[in-house]
Amino acid sequence: MRYYLIVISLLAIVLGSCTNGNRCYDSVDTLMVSSFSINGFKSIDSLIVTGVNRTDTGDTLVNDRTATLTKRYPLPLSLFADSTGFILNANGVKDTLYIRHKMIITFVSEFCGFAPNYVISGLRHTAGIDSVKITDRRVNTLSTAKATNDQNISIYFSAAAH
Amino acid sequence: MTRILVFILALLLISSFPVLSQTSKPVWRYEGPRVGMDLSRFLLPYLGTAKRNGWEIQADIPYKGNLFPTFETGMQWFDDKHTNYHYKNNGTYARLGMDMNIVKFESLKDHDFVFIGLRYGYSVFNQQTDSISVSNYWGTHNSSLSRHPMSAQWAELVFGMKGELMPNLFFGWSLRAKFPFYVTKDNNISPYIIPGVGKTGSGRPFDFSVGIYYQFPIFRSKTIPKPIKMGGAKHPGLNNGTDMDNQGYGGSQSGGGRQNYNGR
Repeated sequence: MRYYLIVISLLAIVLGSCTNGNRCYDSVDTLMVSSFSINGFKSIDSLIVTGVNRTDTGDTLVNDRTATLTKRYPLPLSLFADSTGFILNANGVKDTLYIRHKMIITFVSEFCGFAPNYVISGLRHTAGIDSVKITDRRVNTLSTAKATNDQNISIYFSAAAH
Repeated sequence: MTRILVFILALLLISSFPVLSQTSKPVWRYEGPRVGMDLSRFLLPYLGTAKRNGWEIQADIPYKGNLFPTFETGMQWFDDKHTNYHYKNNGTYARLGMDMNIVKFESLKDHDFVFIGLRYGYSVFNQQTDSISVSNYWGTHNSSLSRHPMSAQWAELVFGMKGELMPNLFFGWSLRAKFPFYVTKDNNISPYIIPGVGKTGSGRPFDFSVGIYYQFPIFRSKTIPKPIKMGGAKHPGLNNGTDMDNQGYGGSQSGGGRQNYNGR
């Protein structure tokens, strides 16, 4: 019986340690981090971003009216289609940007569940956007943790149009 | 008068039993395959929020006294229903390995041992996820992932003990650290529970098992198994007198404090 005291104490320790937390501590928001700037160091005085065909109150994703050279916002991609459209209104000029992507539903953790992960495969935009640079094609729950000078895409508006 | 005589005779008879038991020294050491059940598997439904059931059979056999080749097999059913998904994982597993006694048997009848061990584990299981719900600005997307057959392999480091409660009936526990080294890839969901391993979500999987075992006493010997020498420098004089305990002379020669340990 010399070991049974150890048994009892071990049981107590193990049972006591079985009460693990059951909360979600991970991010389940998958957002494409995008930077906005106008070629030629022109400032963006206002930026309004909405989804294509989303005109209801509360559908505005970005409404920034402070003048800065570069703005940086995370944007959600569609869960239903293989492309997502955004209407970008910079300095009062409307442009449309379509992002083509592949989505895969991926498990995050037991208490957080699932989140979509995307791979950007292409894009299309109107003439007011000069160029779009894809710096990281993979959009996942860690994208929003990118450093301030890092993003998934960089959108450069045309100076002439804005 | 007759009553007093009968009473005294009865007293003498009763008092003679311990004397009898002390004089009948154990001569044989009985060993054999030990088969048991992991009782901790029956506690699983009461730990955690998910429905988790299973069973596990464990067996070992003594080899050269202090080594115990071990085989363990079991099944597990896991059903975890959350607000945004419903995960099911069912499977079978087996482990093969060896335990090594690290304490000295003190008499022929002493079968209590503390062990360290290694295991190789293999599991075959299925996982399925239904009612997956993901929401963002664009709406709520519902989907499910069909049943996916999977397998896993892992290594285990085991520490525990087994003690004889009654002749041939053992109680034991073990603590296990698990090291998964292969799991079938699934692009959608890496299994957060593996039958035989347990939850893999955060950190190193650990497990605790408590079992009850029966030893089939089919081998007998007159020697106490010698402890396994772990190496290291010898210090003359330190072991004088104690080595006799392990020379295999039988219980009457052993000098340990549990020489007359008969009543379990």
